Amino acid sequence: MLWVSNIIDGQKALYEDEDIKFVLACQKGDTEAFSVLVERHQKQMLNIAFRMTGDYDEACDIAQEAFISAYKSIRKFKGEAKFSTWLYRIVVNYSKNRLKQLRGKDRREGVSIDDSERTGTKEVMEPLINDSNPGAQMEKHEREAQVQKCITSLDDEHKEVLVLRDIQGFSYEEIGDILKIPDGTVKSRLSRARNALKDCLSKVIGDL
Amino acid sequence: MKKCEEIENNLPLYLDNSLSGDDKKDVEEHLNSCPRCSKALVELSKTRSLVGNLADVEPPPWFKQKVMSRVREEAGKKSLVQKLFYPLRIKIPVQVLTTIFIAVLVVYIYRGGEDWMKEVVPLAAPAPMMEVQKDKSPEQKIKTSADEEKQKEETIQKNQMPRDTVRDKTADAAKDVNGQIAVDMEADKYASAPAAKSVVLPSAELEKKKERNISGASIAMKENKALRMQSIMSKTAVYLRVAEIDASAGEVEKLLVKYDAKNIARQITQNRAVLTAEVNNRKMKDLMAQLKTIGQIKENIMLLDNTEENVFLVIEILNK
Repeated sequence: MLWVSNIIDGQKALYEDEDIKFVLACQKGDTEAFSVLVERHQKQMLNIAFRMTGDYDEACDIAQEAFISAYKSIRKFKGEAKFSTWLYRIVVNYSKNRLKQLRGKDRREGVSIDDSERTGTKEVMEPLINDSNPGAQMEKHEREAQVQKCITSLDDEHKEVLVLRDIQGFSYEEIGDILKIPDGTVKSRLSRARNALKDCLSKVIGDL
Repeated sequence: MKKCEEIENNLPLYLDNSLSGDDKKDVEEHLNSCPRCSKALVELSKTRSLVGNLADVEPPPWFKQKVMSRVREEAGKKSLVQKLFYPLRIKIPVQVLTTIFIAVLVVYIYRGGEDWMKEVVPLAAPAPMMEVQKDKSPEQKIKTSADEEKQKEETIQKNQMPRDTVRDKTADAAKDVNGQIAVDMEADKYASAPAAKSVVLPSAELEKKKERNISGASIAMKENKALRMQSIMSKTAVYLRVAEIDASAGEVEKLLVKYDAKNIARQITQNRAVLTAEVNNRKMKDLMAQLKTIGQIKENIMLLDNTEENVFLVIEILNK
């Protein structure tokens, strides 16, 4: 995992310089330069939103809105942090806001946000079923759905740290920058998040 | 030895190898003697493995296109603002200067308009002025009447056109005016009814006067000054019958120059020539004597008021 993380970090470091170039172009009014930034970050933006909400369609909407918001306020980006950090902060905040809205709506309608039907994992799974070993794939996706359900059940502040660290592979420092919290808080929240997820998975799956 | 609860809190960080030296040592010592915490560590490790192996989802193929179409929409909205204000360092000063220029222009026009209104308003209500004139002294009446007549003559002179037809009309008008002057002077001389002393301007002349006033405050001011000057002068109309109008007109003009006449104006047509000028009252007798040498004189009105310095003289030269 660390090795993979390092590779990702290396790629990000390569992208950072390029990001600044296109960000400056956008700030000067070159709209098409933004398409490069979308191309580069769309997958990570979508995955953060998806792991935060557990709903693929919601995640697409959130990532889209986050990109539009980033474009609208791109002139405010002064390069104090990495552009990707700034961008992921936007998507995390949009995800949390959307979750609050959904919880409020579900509370009014008497539905739990943790309902498995709510998660869009089924839709994501369907194209992957056409594989050489459908049984194993089904089992894998079922397990992923269980894990996602447990992630979705976490508190927002635990969820965001877990998603950024254990799924997206950001460093403590990067997470601190994205969430604007100190390192110590990142660690303590991550510790609680991992323990809570372990407990949840133990209940759902049984013996891990 | 620390309690299991404390150790469990540190286990996730121990897994990341992010504990400080002492904490790490405590955890390791505890794990060696606590199967429960060791099991917890294994579960945490498996949990992290499960989470880390979650497959990434791919964005839908339309995602980038949709985002960019929204971005272009936003850029379209933004471009209106940019057109108006960007680049700020150029457009803001230009807009500020333009605003100041317009404000100054508006103030200038507004103030100019006030003067113009002052000039126009008395002309817009001539009737009450006539009423007031009835109660004036005979000298004042003469001045007022002369003022108005002078306006008529001025109008005729200003509207003089190069074409002969226009000249004819102008000369006729001048004749009418001179006739009017004669009538008015006579009326004044014999102190007839006050109402008869007031000259009502013909409507056409009034229109022309209004047009002149509208043409600008400065013209109105100049005219008013000229009218004020003329209002303090008496008027004399002279008919001079000669053999040759053109030659005689030249001679009369020379005479006027000789006698230091001011504002000499000449209108010549086929049948008559009209010369107007301001002549010093004291030189009038000599001038009249000289005019008699040129042709046959008929003085319609001769107002010799020694108190006034200048006389407004109208000489109409006709064929015998």
